[in-house]
Amino acid sequence: MLSTSITRSTPLAQQLRPSFMRSAVPKSARIAAFHATQRQQILPPLPQKIAGTLNEPTLVPDPAPAHGSYHWSFERIVAGGILPLTMAPFAAGSLNPVMDSVLCALLVVHSHIGFESCIIDYFPKQRVPVVRNVAMWALRIGTVTLGLALYSFETNDVGITEAVTRLWHA
Amino acid sequence: MACTRALARLASKRTGMAIRPAGFARGFASVSDTSAREPVSKIAEKIVPDPARTVVPESKTSTVKEPQPDKDSKIKTFHVYRWDPDQPSEKPRMQSYTLDLNKTGPMMLDALIRIKNEIDPTLTFRRSCREGICGSCAMNIDGVNTLACLCRIPAETNKESRIYPLPHMYIVKDLVPDMTLFYKQYRSVKPYLQRDTPAPDGREYRQSKAERKKLDGLYECILCACCSTSCPSYWWNQEEYLGPAVLLQSYRWIADSRDEKKAQRQDALNNSMSLYRCHTILNCSRTCPKGLNPALAIAEIKKSMAFT
Repeated sequence: MLSTSITRSTPLAQQLRPSFMRSAVPKSARIAAFHATQRQQILPPLPQKIAGTLNEPTLVPDPAPAHGSYHWSFERIVAGGILPLTMAPFAAGSLNPVMDSVLCALLVVHSHIGFESCIIDYFPKQRVPVVRNVAMWALRIGTVTLGLALYSFETNDVGITEAVTRLWHA
Repeated sequence: MACTRALARLASKRTGMAIRPAGFARGFASVSDTSAREPVSKIAEKIVPDPARTVVPESKTSTVKEPQPDKDSKIKTFHVYRWDPDQPSEKPRMQSYTLDLNKTGPMMLDALIRIKNEIDPTLTFRRSCREGICGSCAMNIDGVNTLACLCRIPAETNKESRIYPLPHMYIVKDLVPDMTLFYKQYRSVKPYLQRDTPAPDGREYRQSKAERKKLDGLYECILCACCSTSCPSYWWNQEEYLGPAVLLQSYRWIADSRDEKKAQRQDALNNSMSLYRCHTILNCSRTCPKGLNPALAIAEIKKSMAFT
């Protein structure tokens, strides 16, 4: 029973096994089991599937500017807007709460767009729909949490510009 | 007494050989008499000796000498990706071939053709024009997607070359990738002139020199798929992202002053996946064997669609 569980076990399962069981297995066998396991690919490709005949074009999606050109333009504006806002308070030498809050909002949006892009790239909808949805919802929850955290930091504490200044001088 | 016995044995052996087969001769029990225990067929050969069966030493027979490697020969090793669809359960493997570079042409395609002609006829790859205009021999050579016919064999013989098919493509055999999806995607951008209004003079669609100049660096693309298969974004989302080669072709028609369906062409790209999976990684421009700049074409499409 022990031996069958060894051959099948993954390294993680090895770690989770109680220590007395682990020690009962000889070290060489443990290493062999670790190396003899099949290579686990993260997202192995499925067999090729071609929709339609060879002479038909691939399907052209309906135009969706909100996810296309508008999204891209908005992304550039946000990314471009962050740059001066990071410099301005230090260049001006004064602290403006409005400017600080705008910087916070842009940072939240910017990080959301960036992570969203990662999820779209790495979790294709057709390939792993469940993981894709879970990741998207985790991102949304994370973004809202970040927004709330930054809001409370701005209102109840010193705000990010002041925090960076203090860290810089610390 | 012993002397007479030895003499008698000697006499019987001689007479046995001459008159009757040794196998039928009853000799004295002795270990030295090995021919007494040989099978009949072998003995029969001894009775009727066949001159054709006798082994002629190699020094007297061979007229063609084994090819000796020259002192100044440049032996280089090529590791080639092999996979045979007739043995689908076998894993893909790397096979090594050695060639003398003095007897091989300068390009990688020459080496591959020589391997196929002289060493291993089962090696499979696409090739046609051997001068970089057909785009058939696109493959991954020493880690770079390029055309084998435009890729010089590095002269250093101590470095071994590794030849793979285009990365992240479904493989038909050995170095032959399945380009079906790529061509279907190319078809989806409608790579032809779309126009409703006739030409003003009824003869030709005329262009100014400046308008024609916009197409330079676009029309030269031979669709070898080197750029698309070097793009990580295309590796991840091949089904939806069009890839640099097809987008460059799309821009070739968007930029064409004679084409009247520019808006429709842009609309076809205006979604999350088709165009905007390009993250300006720029592998496409780096790898293009024709020296084109697909990344610039994609950036031009994005620019033309921005804020519209």
